[in-house]
Order: sequence, then C-alpha cells, then structure tokens
Amino acid sequence: MNKKLFSQIKNEWRTNLGLAIELLLVSVVMWWITDNLYCTASVYFEPRGFDTEHCYLIEMGKLTDKSPDYTERTNDQQNEDIHELANRLRQRPEIEAVSLSYNSYPYNGSNSTINMQLADDTLKATNWVIRRAVSPDFVKVFRYDGARGETPEQLAEMLERDEIIVSDNLFTSTYKRPMPMTDYIGRRVYLFNDTTHSYPLGASVKVVRYGDFQSGRNARTLLFMHDFWDTDAELCVRVRANQDVDFIERLKADSEKQLRVGNIYISNIRSFKDIRRDFQQGQYNKVRDSITTMVFLLVNIFLGLFGTFWFRTQQRKCEIALHKAHGATNRMVFTRLVSEGWLLLLLVTPLALAIDFNLAYAELNGWYNDTTLEAGRFLLCGAISFLLIALMIAVGIGIPARKAMKIDPAEALHDE
Amino acid sequence: MIKQYITQALAQLRQHPIISAVSIIGTALAIFLIMLVVMMQQVKTAPFAPESNRDRFLHVHYMSLSNKNWSKTGATSNQPMSERTIKELYQSLKTPEAVAIYTCMPMATPVSLPGKAATAIDMLQTDDNFWRVFDFAFIDGKPYDKATFDAAQPVAVITESVARILFGTTEGVVGKEFLLSHAPYKVAGIVKDVSTLANTCYAQVWIPYTSTGQDKDTTADGHMGLMSCTILAKSRDDFDAIRQEALNRMETYNLLVGEDGYQFIHRNRPYDQEKQSISFSANQEPNVEAERRSRLMTFLVLLIVPAINLSSMTQSRLRQRVSEIGVRRAFGCNRMELMGQILMENMVVTLLAGALGLLMSVAFAYMGNTLLFAQPFSNTLNPPTVDASILIHGSTFGWALLFCFILNLLSTGLPAWMASRTNIVTALGGRLH
Repeated sequence: MNKKLFSQIKNEWRTNLGLAIELLLVSVVMWWITDNLYCTASVYFEPRGFDTEHCYLIEMGKLTDKSPDYTERTNDQQNEDIHELANRLRQRPEIEAVSLSYNSYPYNGSNSTINMQLADDTLKATNWVIRRAVSPDFVKVFRYDGARGETPEQLAEMLERDEIIVSDNLFTSTYKRPMPMTDYIGRRVYLFNDTTHSYPLGASVKVVRYGDFQSGRNARTLLFMHDFWDTDAELCVRVRANQDVDFIERLKADSEKQLRVGNIYISNIRSFKDIRRDFQQGQYNKVRDSITTMVFLLVNIFLGLFGTFWFRTQQRKCEIALHKAHGATNRMVFTRLVSEGWLLLLLVTPLALAIDFNLAYAELNGWYNDTTLEAGRFLLCGAISFLLIALMIAVGIGIPARKAMKIDPAEALHDE
Repeated sequence: MIKQYITQALAQLRQHPIISAVSIIGTALAIFLIMLVVMMQQVKTAPFAPESNRDRFLHVHYMSLSNKNWSKTGATSNQPMSERTIKELYQSLKTPEAVAIYTCMPMATPVSLPGKAATAIDMLQTDDNFWRVFDFAFIDGKPYDKATFDAAQPVAVITESVARILFGTTEGVVGKEFLLSHAPYKVAGIVKDVSTLANTCYAQVWIPYTSTGQDKDTTADGHMGLMSCTILAKSRDDFDAIRQEALNRMETYNLLVGEDGYQFIHRNRPYDQEKQSISFSANQEPNVEAERRSRLMTFLVLLIVPAINLSSMTQSRLRQRVSEIGVRRAFGCNRMELMGQILMENMVVTLLAGALGLLMSVAFAYMGNTLLFAQPFSNTLNPPTVDASILIHGSTFGWALLFCFILNLLSTGLPAWMASRTNIVTALGGRLH
C-alpha cells in the first residue's frame, strides 16, 4: 500500500514538488511563529509578583494662578495637601488601601534605577535595579508577597520603619548564580553610592516583573519609603473586591466637593485594566500579527491542497472507480487520498526540522531561559506546527476526497 | 488584444468554477493581508491632516542627559526636555522652516462650564509655532498667535466634539469661556476632530503652555522638562543639513553646560517620521533597518506561499489547454508571445482578485480600526478613528498594483515559461511534458 502511494507521488512529481516546497516553507514559518508564541506565552504566564485587579490610578492636578480658587502654597504645604487627599481617600468605605509613589506602579512606562551595596561587604547590585520610591501602603495596594511568606501588611510595616525591601533575585542576576536575598535580611546596605548612611534590609519579595511580556529573570527592584510628594506623584488605590462597579464615576462625582485640598484636585482616574492595555498594546499587536499569519498560512495549505486534489480526483475518476470495483470501501478511497498528503508532509518534515534547528542554532528565533534552542521546546513547537498542518491537509484533501469516494464505479467506468 | 485577454480569462474562470474560486480567494486573501500591513505602516508615516507635512518632519521627543557628578556608573536622564533646551538646541537653527514646541503627550484634563460636571479630555500644551507646523482645519476662530502666547493668556483651541460637550453646539462658541483645570479659558478657535493616529499633535484641546507655567516646571537644573519638538524642514533635501547644524549646535551648547558637568546625548536625533514612529524609549535609538527587514519578511511570506499554491493551479489549468498551445505554436506563435499571453490572462484574474482584496482591506480597516490600528503608549481611551484621507493615498493603489504584479509573476511565471517551451508535437498530442 505504502509502496503504491510512493510511486503515485513519484508519478505526479511535478505538482507534488510544488506542494512539497509549499509544505516545507510553511512548516518552517509555522515552527518559527509557534516558537515565538511559545516564548511569549511562557513569559506571560510567569508569576507577576504583583496584583493590579481592583486597582486605580488617580491623577492629580494643581490649580494655576489663573484659577479663582488658587491660593499661594509652599512646597511643604502642598506635600501636606497631597497627604491629606490620600487620607480622605483612605476614609472612604469602598477603598482598601491608598499609596503614593514615583515611577513605581506596574505597567509604568517611566522608571528610575538605583545601586545597592552591602555596607559590610563588597557585594553590589548595579544591574538595572528599578527604584521604587513609595509610601508604605504601596505593597498593600499591589499585594507584593514576601519571599519568606511575609504578608503585604508586614512588608508595609517594614517600609514604615525605613527598612529596605528588595526583590529576591537582586544579586542572582548580577553574579550569575543563585544568591537569594533572603540570606542577607537584617544586613545594612548603602544606596545612591552614598556610604555615609546605611539602611537595614527588611525583607526580600518574590520577583516583581516590569510587565506581562518582560520575564522575571531581568526584573529587579528595590523599594524604600519616600514621604515628600508633588502633583506628578502616583496616587494609587485598591478598592474592595465588590466595589469596582461605577467606582470611577462615584469618585469623580465626589471629587469636587470632598477631594479638593489646597490647590490639588483630581484630574483623571484610570483603571489599571486600561493602563495595562495601553502599556502592552505593542506586544498585543505582535501576538495578533503572529496568529493572523499562522491562520493565513493554514488557509493557504487548505486552498492549495483543496485545489490540487480537486483536479486530481477528477483526473483519477476512472482509477478510483476501478479501485472501488475491485472491492475498496469508501473509507479506503478516502484514507488513500488523504494519506498522499500526509506522506508528502512526512517527507518534508525532516528537512524542515533541519532548517528549524539551524535557525535556532543561529539564534534567529525567540529567546526564553536565556537561549533559543532547548530540546523540549524545539520538539514541542515542531510537533504543534506539524499537527496543525496535518489537520489542514486532512480538511483540504478531505473535501475532494469525500466527493471522490462517492463515485459510482459503474457510472464512471461506463463514461470511460 | 487586451479585450481578447479579458474574454479568454473570463471564459476560463467559468470553465472551472471551483478552481477559479480557490484561485481568486487565494489571491484576494494575500492582497488583503498585504494591504493591511501596508495600511498599518501608512497610518504611521503617510501624510494626512493635520500632519500633512509628515515627510518634512524631524522629531525630537526625548533627550538624554548625563552629568559626570551623578554617578560613576554612567547614569543618564532620559526624558522630554525643557523649553529652554529646545530653544537652545533646535529653535535656534537657521535651516528649518519652523520648530514647534509642545508637551510630550496629551494629558487627561477636566473641562466644564461653571457649576456643571466636568469631563476629562485630552489636552496638549503648545507654543504658537505649533499651528504653523501642523495644518488643523479650523471651522471657526483662529489659533493663538505669538503675542497671546507670550502674554500667557488663558485661551484654547478646542475640537468640535469638545465644543458640543461643553456648549451643545459649535456655532458662536468662539470667545466664550469655560473651565479647564478649574481655571477660566476663552475659546480661540474650533477645529475638526483629530484622529489619535495623528499621534504627534493629537489632542482635544490645545492651550499655550505659558498659561499654565509648564515651561517653568523643569528638572536637572532647567535642562529637562515635559517638552518635545517637531522641526518642519523646507524640504526633505534639507534633512542632512538640519541634522548637521543641530549636531554642531549641540557640540557648542555642550561646552557651555559642560561647565556644570552636564552633557547632552543626541542618539542621532532628530528622527524623521518613520524612525519616530517606532521610537518608544528615550534611551534607545530605534532600528529602522531591522523594522524594514521584518516587514520585508512578512511581505515575502505573504507573497510566496500563495504564489506556490496559485502556480500549481495555473499548472493544472494549462495542462488542460495544452493542445490549444500546440495549435498556436504550430501556426507560428513564438514562445515570448505565448508566455506573454498566459501572463496577461492571469494578470486579469489577479487584478480582479486584487481589487477584491483591496476593497476588503479598506472595509476591514474601517470596521476593525480599534483592532488594527491600536496604538502602544497612546495614553488615551479614544479609539483610532480612520477616514478616507488617512487610509487611501495614491500610493495605496500603487502598492496594491505592484504586489498584484509580483504575485502574478511569481505564480504564473514558471508554469507559463514551461508551457511555452513545450515541444509542438507533444503539445498537439495533448501532453505538457
């Protein structure tokens, strides 16, 4: 049976060559896209280290001297006004926690960096450590988790005591070997390259990622308490779990009467759902493009095989009829035709995998775990793209094959 | 001759309705996706009002600043600039036609009538040159001029939609007052709504930044702030001269600020529209070449895979016409003529399907605009609206035609070449090979 299939494929080698080239090309491109999507998905589903559900950003504005309500305020007074605004928000029953920060909230396009050095050692973390200057409740708003199981409340108390909190991978990434920061808790550290003042290391937290598409491997952070704020500070709130409905509208409705302090007013309220979308739209677009290309390729496989086999089954009408007259069942006719396509795919697959391997070896595909070539991932992505193409072959050939298997042998042979 | 091609092509389409449908769908789908890619690129770089001068724009959205006293690890500040920095570095240049200074992105700001509920709308703070660099369509009033700007007067240009939100109408609104950030502003002019796709100048209300004191809100000893700028060149040919002049100016200026340890790092700014459209971070120079390469790869995949498909179908169809080819050859038709005929006949089908694909892509662009043109870091919830002036340019048709031509050549070239080389006797006998 297989031998006959091979000779049949050989006999029609001209059209089959075209199909084989197409299958080869599509196999390689499909593998490449699957591989990239695999990397993206693996990063996406890593633990984030924070939680933005039920969180909102409240943007503050400052009255100018053009406004009739404007009053002269010093920077200190303005700082007090901002604290007062945060306090008033904290009083509201629907709000669970309120924090102020600079360049700190998740999905933030702006960032600052910081250096940290152990006071009694030469160990340093200098490798793109994100600096989060925050009020203590920041860890409660975004639910940071301690590496040793500390709750957000306990972490907030540490910040209150002016202790430093770092992500657990702070040294690991710099020194290329596992050095969990839990081993250094209680030691004193220098910040800002300033060796005149040291701070105690209060806790380390589970890795906090920069966004959903940035791996935790490259995300390091350091939190310290900050207490002086301007209107460009980030005022973030977490509302209670069942209070999301109309929260923005309700707060806006009260903002004029209850939430104007000095020259400070609420200029806008954004949900973290929107902030997250905005921050990651570029990545979402890439995923959208990848999936569209995959669908396009699969549709093309379908069209190509459908068209070719439509012709073939018409040309081989007599052959199929003869086959049936000799006792072949419908199922056998169907399987035989579909197998012709699958065999072609099987023939090109080793070559496709060889090309895939070389692409991965040349680091032209996606990066994950600091590499482009991993046995498991390579085989999985190869298998996924193989199965998807095989499925499309079955559908593409299946339609003409179904028609072919219904041929009435007597009629067809009579025509001849 | 052309009429004959068309008749011939249509007759063939009717002969094999299923195969014709497959070929047309295959071609249309390819052109559809290719044109979507083209449009996605065009909304970023092709000119449309109020950014009709995109091909003469040079942008400096962010700047990098270092200071030898900040740290030994080479820390830099990467962010928008202060007004002073832009004036010194770019507005002082002689070659450009104009330089507009504006805040780096629109900010949601409450507007209202006194005593009424406020609505948050997107506000951009600009100078008066802004109105020369960008061509807004004023339906009433006029932009604020230099005198108004210098006097820091609270005036605003608003869009039709904002006028309707505030006053319920666009008629007779110029000169009226409304509250912007709780301060009274006077309407100077009303412009047509701007799509968020015009992402340099997009906003819903524009005010002089002198009126809020934004120009005085600076960091790093007054070097950095919240301002960006767009340089309008007299012509694209001036780009190199402007870049060179800007470079020289920065060198001189760096000597001056260097006395306090500062140094500006330009990262090859200013960027033209194409480069700016992929520039998202202040501390990295975008790689235009890599972006173009990946777009080229996309086009190749979108062209070659369907081309192989279509060529095998053309091949099958030619096989059934092989005796016709034999007869034509026997009566003296030469190979080139035959090849030309097959190519042209297929071109008719390709163009037909291509037109269908283009139509589909335009329709999809209208309906799926939020999916297709979703902008990263847009900072606004307003959807990227599109209209004909944004989507359809002369070049759009040019690209569609070009891609149809390439697709046709790829898919029919080889079968046509093989058919034309068939031996006359074999062909008359009904065999291609």
